[in-house]
Amino acid sequence: MAVDIISILVVVLIVLAIALAFSIGANDETLSTLVGAGVIKFKVALLIGGIAVGVGMFSFSFAFVAKTVGADLLGEAITYTEFMLLTVLISSILWLVIGSFAGIPLSSTHSLVGSIFGVVIVYSITHEAVNPETVFNWAKLNNVILGWFLSPLFGLIMTYVLFKLLAKVYLSRLKGLNQIEKSEKYFKWLLLIAVIFAEIWVGANSGEAVGILYGLLDGGTLNLEQYIFFAFICGVFSCLGIFIAARYVIRNLASQMMDSRPSESLITQISSALILMIATFLSLPISHSHVIVFCIIGMSVAQRKEVDYKGLGKMAIYWILTFPVAAILAGLIYFGFNLFGLV
Amino acid sequence: MKEITEKELKKLNIDELTHLFVDNINEQNLKLIEGIEFLVEEKFEDFTKNLNYVIETNTEVQIKKVFEAKIFKSKLMFSKADRLKLFSKINDIKNIGEFFANKMLLYKVVFPDNEFKSQLVRVLKSLKSISNGLTDAVKAIGSNLSNAHNICEEVKEERRKMRKNEWDLLNRLYNYDMDYLSRTFLYLKELIEDIMMLADHIKSFSEYIQFLATKYLIFE
Repeated sequence: MAVDIISILVVVLIVLAIALAFSIGANDETLSTLVGAGVIKFKVALLIGGIAVGVGMFSFSFAFVAKTVGADLLGEAITYTEFMLLTVLISSILWLVIGSFAGIPLSSTHSLVGSIFGVVIVYSITHEAVNPETVFNWAKLNNVILGWFLSPLFGLIMTYVLFKLLAKVYLSRLKGLNQIEKSEKYFKWLLLIAVIFAEIWVGANSGEAVGILYGLLDGGTLNLEQYIFFAFICGVFSCLGIFIAARYVIRNLASQMMDSRPSESLITQISSALILMIATFLSLPISHSHVIVFCIIGMSVAQRKEVDYKGLGKMAIYWILTFPVAAILAGLIYFGFNLFGLV
Repeated sequence: MKEITEKELKKLNIDELTHLFVDNINEQNLKLIEGIEFLVEEKFEDFTKNLNYVIETNTEVQIKKVFEAKIFKSKLMFSKADRLKLFSKINDIKNIGEFFANKMLLYKVVFPDNEFKSQLVRVLKSLKSISNGLTDAVKAIGSNLSNAHNICEEVKEERRKMRKNEWDLLNRLYNYDMDYLSRTFLYLKELIEDIMMLADHIKSFSEYIQFLATKYLIFE
């Protein structure tokens, strides 16, 4: 009977991981700059973007961020159990849903890592044999959290520097509207390349879904072939998420970006993609939305445009709160499972 | 202005159509101003002829039609909405000019004295200058936004000077010993106010061009 429950749990976990992959695609707004610039047809853009995210997610599912989320965050003393992973998923999804209903922009990465933290702490408290000091790979966890603070900052700096550079060597030399329009036509094709590049790294750094699967692989629940298959399915579903569900967000954002210059979008996309790439190679799961928001701020600062510091402060509070709230939520859920003797 | 066929219009690009349109409207403005100068000189026949030209000319309607058809299909990206707005702002000058001309044709006034006439001519000279300046600025948008910005600054400066003359003129009018419900008084009051309205539109248009320059130009 116990085996049956575990099997059901594994199926539930895989389904939730795939659903999470779908939601990663569904919430991805990277393509809006491309659609807003009218570079290619809407459906073609969705297809290209979807494939790029899917390819990124699948190609990097064997190491890097997926490994960090699925194994490396934990200390040598423990590995994930199915209930731990289920709690992590329930908690992070619940917190994201609460955030959505409250209209608060939250990071799924922060939420997931926070949930892992909460679950593992409660696990170490409830299991006397486990030493709380060794349940985490503290160095890795510190690096991940440091990455959350540094990645937006570097995004801002990189956007600022790249834009200033481009403005100095090229953009400031354009005189009339015709010349500007003509040069932006070339930028929009570069933007297409940059967005594909960015989408690959968005997929590669979105370790939430494949990270859960990696946890199952690391715990021995899934074998390598099964892991590859489900990681591929996650890639496909992230692609479907963009194609089926993200279109509304993208179309909406794109209509607000009709006036934006492809050269500016190019810089923000390149900066955020580079940050995501570096973070991926450092195996650090970071928030794409946080990075892109700071890249946009970097662009505004470079252009001496007004920055909504009040709104930014409000957003920062939610960003900081996500980790502890998700940790408490996950801890409580896991403690509940423990009380009912399910764990 | 030389008549232009629809076929010829269709060959022009968005920029050329805008230039043609602004030239056309400026020409009508100059005709309107010249018409009022004829009124000052009491050449009523020429005055009527000029103002009727402003009302009856419809070349700009053709240009507008071709422009609108082109802009909606055009592959211009971020400047499309601004170019459309620019065009509609030029068209507003035409509407104000037509309204002005229709009103002026309601009556043929004889001016109270030579001082009033010479003050009005000075105002008209400024109006002519800002209308020409605006035309140059519109034409420079495509090739040199910085130059367009500078021309607009000159237009605004001229408008500032012009305003002083307009108030002097109104002040003079209100101090004449005449019946304030007479057609002459009302007509001259409307004449000055309509010149103000046209000049204010040109000034606000200049500010819009300066906004475009600020929006599109990137400084180091």
